[in-house]
Amino acid sequence: MNKQIRASIATLAVAILTAACGSANPAASPAASVAATPATPVTLQFASFAWQKATVDAHNKIVSDWNAAHPNITVKIVTVDVNSVHDKLLTTFQGGTAADIVHDESADIGGFSGQGFLADLTPLIPAELKSDIPQGIWDTVTFGGKITGVPTILQTYSVFVNKKMLGDANITLPTAASPWTWDKFAEVSKQLTTGDRFGVGWGLKSPAATVMSMSLNFNGLFFYNEGGKNVVKFGPAEQQVLKRIYSLAYTDKSLSPTTLGQSGPEILPGFFAGKYAMIVGGNYVAQQMVEQAPAGFDWAMLPLLKGDTQAQSANPQTLSISTQSKNPKEAMQFIAYYMQANNLASVAIGDWLIPVSTSAGKAVTTITGGKNSWDVNVASAPSLKIAPFQTLDAYAQWKTQIAQPGFQQYLANKIDLATLGTQLIDGWTKVGGK
Amino acid sequence: MIHRRSRRATVLQYVALLGFIAFLSFPLLWMLSTSFKGPRELVALIPSLIPVAPTLENYGTAFSEQDLVQSARNSLQLSLGNAILTVLVALPAAYGLARYATILRRLTMGWILVSQIFPLILIIIPLFLILKTLHLLDSLSGLLIVYLVWSLPFTLWMLQTYVKAIPLELEEAASIDGAGRLRILRSIILPLLAPGIVVAALFAFISGWNEFFFALVVLQSPEHATLPLTLARFIGAEGVVRLGPLAAASLVATLPSLVFFAIIQRHLRSGLLAGGVKG
Repeated sequence: MNKQIRASIATLAVAILTAACGSANPAASPAASVAATPATPVTLQFASFAWQKATVDAHNKIVSDWNAAHPNITVKIVTVDVNSVHDKLLTTFQGGTAADIVHDESADIGGFSGQGFLADLTPLIPAELKSDIPQGIWDTVTFGGKITGVPTILQTYSVFVNKKMLGDANITLPTAASPWTWDKFAEVSKQLTTGDRFGVGWGLKSPAATVMSMSLNFNGLFFYNEGGKNVVKFGPAEQQVLKRIYSLAYTDKSLSPTTLGQSGPEILPGFFAGKYAMIVGGNYVAQQMVEQAPAGFDWAMLPLLKGDTQAQSANPQTLSISTQSKNPKEAMQFIAYYMQANNLASVAIGDWLIPVSTSAGKAVTTITGGKNSWDVNVASAPSLKIAPFQTLDAYAQWKTQIAQPGFQQYLANKIDLATLGTQLIDGWTKVGGK
Repeated sequence: MIHRRSRRATVLQYVALLGFIAFLSFPLLWMLSTSFKGPRELVALIPSLIPVAPTLENYGTAFSEQDLVQSARNSLQLSLGNAILTVLVALPAAYGLARYATILRRLTMGWILVSQIFPLILIIIPLFLILKTLHLLDSLSGLLIVYLVWSLPFTLWMLQTYVKAIPLELEEAASIDGAGRLRILRSIILPLLAPGIVVAALFAFISGWNEFFFALVVLQSPEHATLPLTLARFIGAEGVVRLGPLAAASLVATLPSLVFFAIIQRHLRSGLLAGGVKG
């Protein structure tokens, strides 16, 4: 599907879905609630890092429809640079100029919650919104027993394939009922490797997020609570994904070594040129497939790889309310409106990510007709769950300063697993993890 | 024999110059080329300098998605304001420092050197809190004050060097002829300082035009965004860069600086050389 058609679908989706939301039928949209009109006009600032054009358009439509329907509660979008969200939010929290509604992700709001910058939303969340999102996802935004963010959309790490190459090799694609295991993935990758082509390309320039998330396939948790203290362990479960990637690269030689040092988007030219038959990346890569793949390039996103399970860590984007906000009730009313099935679906389609609510997932499948692997995308949601590291304050620092360089060195074949394990375990103490 | 050697040397000089120009201008040429390439051509495995299927789509996207005109206007206001204010403040201070050998000169020079050592990240939080107290957050005037303060030390240093290069005897001669201090400053010092003023103004202009970090922290509303902030919005999460629109927007952002340079380049050349020879 070319860029124009994709853009048209996204625009049409935005127009159709959000046009209905001014007078949404509460029965059809579980997250709807009638906003009480405040006595005096209220202006809410909504700090958002949305950057994809379709998502920005969806946000603008949601806000303009809300403002038209609620003249006494005006929402104003404040754009935040996506690559400096944490720093920008920290500055505004510390400076006392935080927006009322803050757009972030669950892995980041833990620290802000601990510092008291985010309001406890538990008593404010409408019951219908609460029941529309799986408890496992709510767990990712609960810190110290308080819900400090409403989850919105999610990412997974998926395999994308060149269907023609797999068809030529008589390889049958997996299905949701029968996904590929890691062993099968390695076997297919080896089969597809020829003299001038690798089986798979994998942009692992920054491998930490991918490894930590996909390790849940083998119940590799890395962090364990022992006697009230969190410790890092690097046992067989934690080593699985790393060993398998290493094996693809250095034993089977079916993983393109060039891609190991590239970021996700950088491996796409090689994929489109047929240098490798498969790639592994975030599910949002599907958007670039649609926009940039050569005409006639037949691709598909596969169901999540399976180890012991298909579990990956859930790190949803979130909407929180700052404790500095003078209008938390009105802010939650807007958030509930944003989370209506049709609105959230338009945001999810814009970002090519999975909506967390069941109703929005159904809306996405209906609008897209399951095309461009949207059916696979949405079906991945139940496999996502909270990982222990997501609630730990020092995790972000450990991930950046210890895990990232450690994984890079291992995958570059510069250190062995034992050395990596020592680095990871000692590094947790170094960053003051507890 | 000598004539033939000169011609050969001239040819070699031109070849070297052409190579140097190609090396310097290649990034700009590549940016120009990228701005006319569609999304599919941008991921071609073997890139080409000349677009295969040129398109204006990126320019349309750059202007329609981001308010480039408003951002350019904000950047221009800040840069010009910074250039003018910095020169106005630094000029009398530079004259005083250059002409009056007091303990203040040594202290000021020391302050200028020390202030250049401080990294931005150390002062950004106190700066943010000061601006917040003065209700100057998310305002172009607040950011202008920050730029002025940041550009002042180096501009002061530069200008006092140019003042020192003007012989004191000229002022003494004018004084003997009956000219007062103000007349000397207006009729003799200022005209001779013109190249230095141009260089100082250019430095302050470029500092304001390219500055990203202070703008990122101080500004919040989209209508106040400067060009660097707007260009950053073409860089998405996880390394996804919208190269085509970014190249188009960057080219548009480069144009005012190029025009400015073209206008003042004569003064720039003489200004850069003026302070270089003593006596």
